[in-house]
Amino acid sequence: MELGGRMLWALLSGPGRRGGTRGWAFSSWQPHLPLAGLLNAKELVSHWTAVFEKRGIPEAQASSEYIVAHVLGAKTFQSLRPELWTQPLTPWQLQCIQELSSRRLQRMPVQYILGEWDFQGLSLKMAPPVFIPRPETEELVEWVLEEVAQSPCAMGTQDGPLILEVGCGSGAISLSLLSQLPQSRVIAVDKGEAAICLTEENAQRLRLLDRIRIVPLDVTLEGSWAHLLPWGPVDLVVSNPPYVFHQDMEQLAPEIRSYEDPLALDGGEEGMDIIIHILALARWILKDSGPRFLHIQRSGPRRGCPADAWPGPQPARVPG
Amino acid sequence: MGFDPGSPGSRPEPKAGAKPLRHPGIPSPKLAELLHMSTSSFFGLLARLARLCTMPQGLGPQAKPVLSAPRVAVTMVQAAGKKDRPALPLLDESELEEQFVKGHGPGGQATNKTSNCVVLKHIPSGIVVKCHQTRSVDQNRKLARQILQEKVDIFYNGENSIVYKEKQEAEKKKQERKRRAKETLEKKKLLKELRELSKNVH
Repeated sequence: MELGGRMLWALLSGPGRRGGTRGWAFSSWQPHLPLAGLLNAKELVSHWTAVFEKRGIPEAQASSEYIVAHVLGAKTFQSLRPELWTQPLTPWQLQCIQELSSRRLQRMPVQYILGEWDFQGLSLKMAPPVFIPRPETEELVEWVLEEVAQSPCAMGTQDGPLILEVGCGSGAISLSLLSQLPQSRVIAVDKGEAAICLTEENAQRLRLLDRIRIVPLDVTLEGSWAHLLPWGPVDLVVSNPPYVFHQDMEQLAPEIRSYEDPLALDGGEEGMDIIIHILALARWILKDSGPRFLHIQRSGPRRGCPADAWPGPQPARVPG
Repeated sequence: MGFDPGSPGSRPEPKAGAKPLRHPGIPSPKLAELLHMSTSSFFGLLARLARLCTMPQGLGPQAKPVLSAPRVAVTMVQAAGKKDRPALPLLDESELEEQFVKGHGPGGQATNKTSNCVVLKHIPSGIVVKCHQTRSVDQNRKLARQILQEKVDIFYNGENSIVYKEKQEAEKKKQERKRRAKETLEKKKLLKELRELSKNVH
């Protein structure tokens, strides 16, 4: 194999597959790719999809597409200009794809590999171990926006709603609310230092720092949120709190288990540890008639709905 | 960093007759109804919201996230939702079947799904649209609906569809431009020949 071919081969195999697997790489390589030819985006996607599938990586094709698209400067493969699908890639691009793909082989979530992800139309930086916003949470934001639209007086249109988010993570919920409610302001709290930093960074990138106050806070600590009270009362409390049952934690996919902060997921024995505190806090900091939003989606049987424990005048809305 | 929310008890009262933050035309089911709404009618509400608010209202000057700046141009997805265009016939959510379905099977925090390609089918006509333009499910769903709207319009209205008419307009204008350019070229050619002739005469 000439030098070019050898370099291509090295760039196309994942790590840990040297030595004895050389035969594998060769035999599955030849049918898929032109011999010593120049490779284009489509071919790369096919190649890495096959590699991921062989190694049992979930969402093999989607992962491969996102990585290749990202290296070519697009968010999704479908959104790339079609002529780029068949244009030969540069060695540098191949190298980038190789590096990113090898991280995928380590089960790193795509969002962490790319270092960014989108939420409600905003592009946010992503960094382990800060919790990656889930697509279902975009729905939660829609509900909040609807709620605000329906009760303008209660929300105080002068300064927009004042919103408290508990567990802001990357800042996804807070920042998308701020960007779609130009008069709103947010107090965003999180107990993780990395989350505080990431929310700050994302707020800065989106130039929303002037309307958000980001506070390190563990709401489960007795009296910890008392110092938030002078800033209230708030119109809304929003949260996507940890709610996974503790005993389910070890069954989580490696992507989640090995890379995301377990504290952002583990809700304790009943999955309610943090939720209970949020409800208690909401009682004190929320305006009398304010709704509160908790985003809780369970896959297993529900073991008691937080809404049942809610003492306020209005029922807590617990979707899912 | 941040703002100063002020001291307790000093929150300003909302002005009387203050405008709602979103389009006043949106129907507003009561909260209780929302809670008991079925998934499909909820999506219907979302779809109606999306249609009424194709341009996100209130997106201030901070709308441009830094990361999206150097991206490659988006492909030829039809420019749906142009402002000066007559309204496309609306889609009825009950006639749509969506393949990216949320809430089925384990979801939420316990999983991390990145494949948010939306496959949307219009049952009466059988038209299927696949949209993976963005990394956001919500955006893809909205875009899929816009694209489907246009396709359904063409399907049922053929030559009378808005898309077809726009294409015809564009084609007409293009032909017109070509014709004028050709005319100008011929005029110039003629003038040149005349000049040559007059030179030879002298």
